[in-house]
Amino acid sequence: MTTIEVLDDATARYVLESQRCFEDLKQVASQLAGLLVLAAAGSKEALPDHPALESARDIFREANDALRRARPTARAQKHYAHLARAAAAIGTALSQIGGALDVDRILIPLRAGYTELEHAADSLPGFEKVAYERACCGFRIAQ
Amino acid sequence: MNAYSLWVMEFAAVPNYPQSGLIYGMHNQGTRKLPYCYIVIKGQGQLAMVDVGYNHKAHGEVLANTFGVRGWRPPHEVLGEIGIRPEDVGTIFITHAHFDHMGNIEDFPNATFYLQERELSKWVWTMSLPRRFRWLMLGIDTADIMRAVDLARQKRLVCVEGDRQNVLPGIDLHAAFDTHTWGSMYVTVRNDLAANSQSSWVFCGDLAYTQENLRGHDPHDPEYIPVGLATCSQFNLVMTAEEMVKSTGGDITRVVPPHEERLKDLFPSRITKAGLRITELALADGDPSQVR
Repeated sequence: MTTIEVLDDATARYVLESQRCFEDLKQVASQLAGLLVLAAAGSKEALPDHPALESARDIFREANDALRRARPTARAQKHYAHLARAAAAIGTALSQIGGALDVDRILIPLRAGYTELEHAADSLPGFEKVAYERACCGFRIAQ
Repeated sequence: MNAYSLWVMEFAAVPNYPQSGLIYGMHNQGTRKLPYCYIVIKGQGQLAMVDVGYNHKAHGEVLANTFGVRGWRPPHEVLGEIGIRPEDVGTIFITHAHFDHMGNIEDFPNATFYLQERELSKWVWTMSLPRRFRWLMLGIDTADIMRAVDLARQKRLVCVEGDRQNVLPGIDLHAAFDTHTWGSMYVTVRNDLAANSQSSWVFCGDLAYTQENLRGHDPHDPEYIPVGLATCSQFNLVMTAEEMVKSTGGDITRVVPPHEERLKDLFPSRITKAGLRITELALADGDPSQVR
């Protein structure tokens, strides 16, 4: 049986306010990882001026701004710490992109950042690693 | 003469899945069981699979508690039922990159994975679109992409561009672009190894979920009805259905949707102690049955 946690109002507000930041960081991580797969597989699409990178940098800036504005409650402190570490590591991964996509240099901080996002998703309700609702298996059963 | 033994291995299931998700337009017409399966291809000194299922560590609890997915068992247990170990699998064809088809790659440490390059490159393109386009990312798990990076670094990821013949003897890959996903593909096994095969099987991933997608509701007056969920084009799904059926000489029972529960009505099968079904499509010459 699933246990549903009832959050206090301030924590619920934090969840709502930081969902976008979480989603944005996840998107940046996905964009970088996708480019790294292409680079590691030798695809001609994997170029350091790929439009996904510009988009990733823009989204990352917005996520960082949202992170600065967040007001975590005591219940949300752990989540916030994971989110902040994720942002720092993903920022490091972004900063490693120079004239070429060096898969090994980018992958280490990127993986660390995504692991922090996974921990964040596990530490508070309301943060999904995969959008199951919109996936093939996305038929929500009655609770 | 059969070059390969072919099995459909169930690894989890949703007991009551809405038919509208499987067959376009079947709204408010009840539910059916939706098994999750992967395919095993064994013969010619090769051990291959089509898709690998999802990563239970990452998704199991949510899928079980929220989406009613039941009975997940790990590959070593599912494959063990037919005497195979995941580490013995040498080749894996990923039909598309949704988490329930490619999420379990880390359980197959010695396999080389084949995936359409377009599936990856269009993801990356999709991810660079504004947030309001996020529906296009459905079913994608960032962690799978990370694992794919590792595969590529280890030279175990082959990005295929379009069709490719004889990846293994008698086994061909066919691109089905802009259908269920951007870079879906289906796998053909010519089980007599002949170029103009009289014994072809098609493993279609999610290009069809059920037989109705391939023959409509009236077997005597067949029509193609696309699946209930497509990132891209229903038109392309219908045209791909025609290609797949033609490649079996018109025998739709040889187009195998891994989510079709009623394969059991067409082929010999058995239920394991874990309650999962093994369906035996073909046996290579000299191979013993695993279901009798």
